[in-house]
Amino acid sequence: MRLLTVGGVIAYRALFNWTTPSMFVGTLLVGPLFQLLFFAFLGRQLGVASDSFYIVGNAVLAASVACVFGGTMAVSNERRYGTLGHVLLSPRPRTLVFLGRAVPYAGNGLLIAAFTLTVGSLVLGLRVPLGAIPGLAVTLAVGSLSCAFFGLTLGALGLRFRDVWLVSNVSISLLLLLTGVNVPADHLPAWMRVVGGGLPITHSAEAARRLVAGDGFGAAMPALGKEFAVGVAYAVVAAALLKVFEAESRRRASLDTL
Amino acid sequence: MSVLRLIGRGTLLHVKQLSRSQFEIATALFVPLVQATLAVYLFRAGSEPHRLLEAAVGAGMMAVWSSVLFGSGGAIQNQRWQGTLEMLMLAPRPPALLVFPITLATAVTGTYAMIATLLWGGLVYRIPLDVADPLAFAVSVPAAILGLGMFGLLLASTFVLLPNANAINNTLEYPIWLVSGMLVPITVLPGWTGPIGAVLPTTWAARAVRESVTGSGPVWPSLGVCLALSFVCLVAGALVMSYVERRARANATLALA
Repeated sequence: MRLLTVGGVIAYRALFNWTTPSMFVGTLLVGPLFQLLFFAFLGRQLGVASDSFYIVGNAVLAASVACVFGGTMAVSNERRYGTLGHVLLSPRPRTLVFLGRAVPYAGNGLLIAAFTLTVGSLVLGLRVPLGAIPGLAVTLAVGSLSCAFFGLTLGALGLRFRDVWLVSNVSISLLLLLTGVNVPADHLPAWMRVVGGGLPITHSAEAARRLVAGDGFGAAMPALGKEFAVGVAYAVVAAALLKVFEAESRRRASLDTL
Repeated sequence: MSVLRLIGRGTLLHVKQLSRSQFEIATALFVPLVQATLAVYLFRAGSEPHRLLEAAVGAGMMAVWSSVLFGSGGAIQNQRWQGTLEMLMLAPRPPALLVFPITLATAVTGTYAMIATLLWGGLVYRIPLDVADPLAFAVSVPAAILGLGMFGLLLASTFVLLPNANAINNTLEYPIWLVSGMLVPITVLPGWTGPIGAVLPTTWAARAVRESVTGSGPVWPSLGVCLALSFVCLVAGALVMSYVERRARANATLALA
């Protein structure tokens, strides 16, 4: 447990040695807020769905930039800055080392999602029932964790492929389309709904919408359970990929090849 | 004539260089397709399915802006990282004339996205390319790109003065899409955003291209305002660039990342 948490926190602090507060505010707080406003106004103009649909959906999605890029950076930056060999020389289990990296990013994602939901609601006048707040906190946390493990899976690809940032950028834009955050799922083709069901955010956005609508935690539970399952699945895939790619990069002596 | 030749050659060189980057090309092609698909499904789901061509063109303009924002905003920093900034500044030409081809090249590579979104819309979603005024469209797209390239010089020169320009880059994408009316009509936005949008070349560029596609208004006045505002940005950018260059030479900070 100590390895999981302390290792993650140290890696997170190291990242913020070169990620400045202005970068944090600009990229992770202001950016997602404008994304929310963009889709809320577009949705209003087209009459696709209510403001509530866009505020809640985009607030849940707001965690994705921090979590997906964070998870990716957790692995690929080790390679970029030449520290991957040191990490892999450690006699501790890599799975724990790397899975621990995802936890602070998930915490970060939760903070960003909560900020986006709060400010978005204040700006566009959405009233969130007080009773829904604890359930929303759990939902945003599960969504963020699931997203961070998804990011870690992409980061694991960084052990094998050179340009993992391309994959991350494309994945972020696919989340916009496939999670049903901006286009109601029933307007998407069946295959997109199936793919979206296997992505993080989709089910937590649904759970959050149920909570904000006042349906209660019980009504949100099935979707929340699915989001949790998706997160666990990505954690397992990330751990497996890290193991396979580490072994392969040792065999091919390509660990630090950029 | 030699200035035009310099700009032309420089732009071609930088377009070739940007086109060598798999990351740039894949991002310029794939991400706008996702955005165009999103726009198509949104417009279909909403009350205006007849505006699908407008949605595809709007998504293309959004991609051009993203290319200019990230490419031009980081133009100087990229030259630093490549180790070519000193050679560029040693050239016996005003620095603005040497950086403008870079910013113009970022706008030109953004057209890959515009072409890709229109092809995607036509081939996958059967959106007919029913442009109301093809001649105006053929003129307004390159003119809008030239305008955004000029605007890019102002971004390049001012962002180099800011210690955390990347943070601004990441923040400005959606707000400019929003207030410029690239996909969301500015009439649905709060009134106070109007004056902001009115002084941005992006607003008039998007408007000119949209008017050429829909025939909803006269294209040429919008295009004229776009180019006039862009020229103001070009002059302001050139002045700032000269100031930045002198300051960097005096402080010996040109190559410091």
